[in-house]
Amino acid sequence: MEKERIEKVKKHIRTEAALEAGQVLKKITDNFPDNPEGMKYFYDLLSRQFSEEILPKNGKKLIGTMCVQVPDELILAAGAKPVRVCSGSFPYDNAGAEFMPAKTCSMIKAIMGLFQVEDFREKFDMLVIPTTCDQKKKTTEILKDMGYEAYSLAMPSRKDDDNSRYYWQNSVKEFAADLMKKTGNKITKESLKKAFDLKNEARYEFRRLFKLRMKNPAVIYGKDAFLIANAYFTDDIESWTAALKKLNDELEKKVEEGFSVANAKVPRFLFTGSPPIFPNMKIPLLVEEAGGLIAIDEVCSSSRLLYDMPSYDEQGLYDMIPAIADCYLKPCTCPCFVPNEERKDKISNLIDMFNIDGVIYQAFSGCQLYEMEQKLIGNFLMKKGVPMLYIESDYSPEDTGQLSTRVEAFIESIKMKKKSSAAKKEENKKDKK
Amino acid sequence: MKVYAGIDIGSTSIKIVLIDESENIVAHSTNPTGASFHKNSMDAFQSLLERENIQKADILYLASTGYGRKLLKEADETISEITANAVGAKKSAEKIGTVKTVINIGGQDLKGISLDEEGNCGNFVMNDKCAAGTGRFLEMTARTLETSVDKLGELHFNLKGVPASINSTCTVFAESEIISLLANGHSHEGIVVGVHYSIAKRIARLIKRIGVEDIIFFDGGPAMNKGLVEAVENELMRELYIPDVPQITTAFGAALIARSVYHEEEVHA
Repeated sequence: MEKERIEKVKKHIRTEAALEAGQVLKKITDNFPDNPEGMKYFYDLLSRQFSEEILPKNGKKLIGTMCVQVPDELILAAGAKPVRVCSGSFPYDNAGAEFMPAKTCSMIKAIMGLFQVEDFREKFDMLVIPTTCDQKKKTTEILKDMGYEAYSLAMPSRKDDDNSRYYWQNSVKEFAADLMKKTGNKITKESLKKAFDLKNEARYEFRRLFKLRMKNPAVIYGKDAFLIANAYFTDDIESWTAALKKLNDELEKKVEEGFSVANAKVPRFLFTGSPPIFPNMKIPLLVEEAGGLIAIDEVCSSSRLLYDMPSYDEQGLYDMIPAIADCYLKPCTCPCFVPNEERKDKISNLIDMFNIDGVIYQAFSGCQLYEMEQKLIGNFLMKKGVPMLYIESDYSPEDTGQLSTRVEAFIESIKMKKKSSAAKKEENKKDKK
Repeated sequence: MKVYAGIDIGSTSIKIVLIDESENIVAHSTNPTGASFHKNSMDAFQSLLERENIQKADILYLASTGYGRKLLKEADETISEITANAVGAKKSAEKIGTVKTVINIGGQDLKGISLDEEGNCGNFVMNDKCAAGTGRFLEMTARTLETSVDKLGELHFNLKGVPASINSTCTVFAESEIISLLANGHSHEGIVVGVHYSIAKRIARLIKRIGVEDIIFFDGGPAMNKGLVEAVENELMRELYIPDVPQITTAFGAALIARSVYHEEEVHA
């Protein structure tokens, strides 16, 4: 009886999660005209994730990763498949809320809910969780207690000194050794080279998309860019790269034909802070439905994912593994690092490169690090003269009404500023004449 | 006479303002929102037109704002209440000077807006989903004390002795706090003053985030409550400017926007 009841509850949560995913996807596709043909692959993939078997099966061993900081080249080189398990699902967030502390962030609650509802113990050979924020750290132990093979990947909290660098390099080396034990496959310089190549091809396409997004008027919405990166979490890397290549080709052609999704007057935003993960597209959709455009982002579920490339001098594990480690440590702008001045520099550069009018900063309630760093980024942007909207929210849809007012007011204020600065320019021109 | 209309569909009441070509208020009305946003808005609009003897054809442009702004399909333009409030406040206080800060208390929101040199909305803060310190809070207080919201100001000034201190800003918790204060024999007046200061403290905390500069414009229905105004002035240690009809500023702003959008479109047409 009890077993039946539990199965019923699980089925109910799965249905709710599929419903939510379906509704969000419908908004993403139906509320916007002219979605690129090439996006269909990504829409389908994400919708399948919730309506069918959640995990892809292809005979390979699955290694779950719970952060952008896990070097997935190593997992690929060990002949296993990396799956990023970070979840954006509200029904799973609710399921996690039943046994996690109330002030835990939505993402952690959703991951824990997912692993509680779905018994993945047989599916994953290992779950890798870097010691980034306190919540992720402790999650490792709770998952272990639930019977999962959870692996704590030790990360330093600084990245600007040699001690931290070597500490992290050693940690990655140990991880490679443990991966080999776990999978029974050896990581060789050849297999690692192959993994590098696979990932670099993915990076190449990702950077092509990055360049396409610089175009003003824009050729693709931010909501689509988020989904592309989200699909990378679970997809096979080769099919993902191929699908993105096709989309990039299509977009390049569209640019040549003079096509755009928004005119050049539309306010362009940079999105930063806690990561939007499908189906939690709440804030990006509010922004783009209200007539704004997310031209670029600085989040770990999207632009931080595939931008940076490792470089090594010699093809040998002794040089390649530290190169991977460096590539994952130095460019990371997660607020778990102290100091984190690079995040300001990165945001500032992106603002200039992408013609940004304003910044949207999202912090999940309970994510203290993003909440606290908001002040620092806000002050920095004020000096730079770029307005920022700070939104503290979670996966629940209940605050959408109030948030839409704030988002719309922010967009309106930017439009007004643009208008009055355009009017001033006109006047200056007249004066000169 | 040709007019421009602004309609502010708030969580508690529907405010409508009609202005003429010279931006003077021709007529205004306030009606409860109820549960049927669209129907009640249209009814309120219709009865104002009838009262003022204005034909529908004389409405050149209609802008809707407020929580229910998107439901009014008849509107030519929708605008967020933050922008509308800023525009309305700037114009309403024109005769006394340049407004730099706007404080608004609505039925379920608390807003602070800072205006830049040109009177555009520069920065703003708003409460999160929680209705603490909003109009709802005052309604709950009045209900618990078996009085009406418009009597709260009077009770405030009748206080003899010390006010009660209300520690909860959460509407739900504050209700039980008020009940226990009553059970301990605190006077109604003392509780009302306590509630006003608890709201005032919350406002002060919220708007300090955007910086407070004179002239400070205070509007929304609760700005009619003189007791609350006194509490906010004391907490901020500054004088507030209250417009004659504080609840219609946002609708007035929407009407002003309606007028300027109408003229812009004319230029382009």
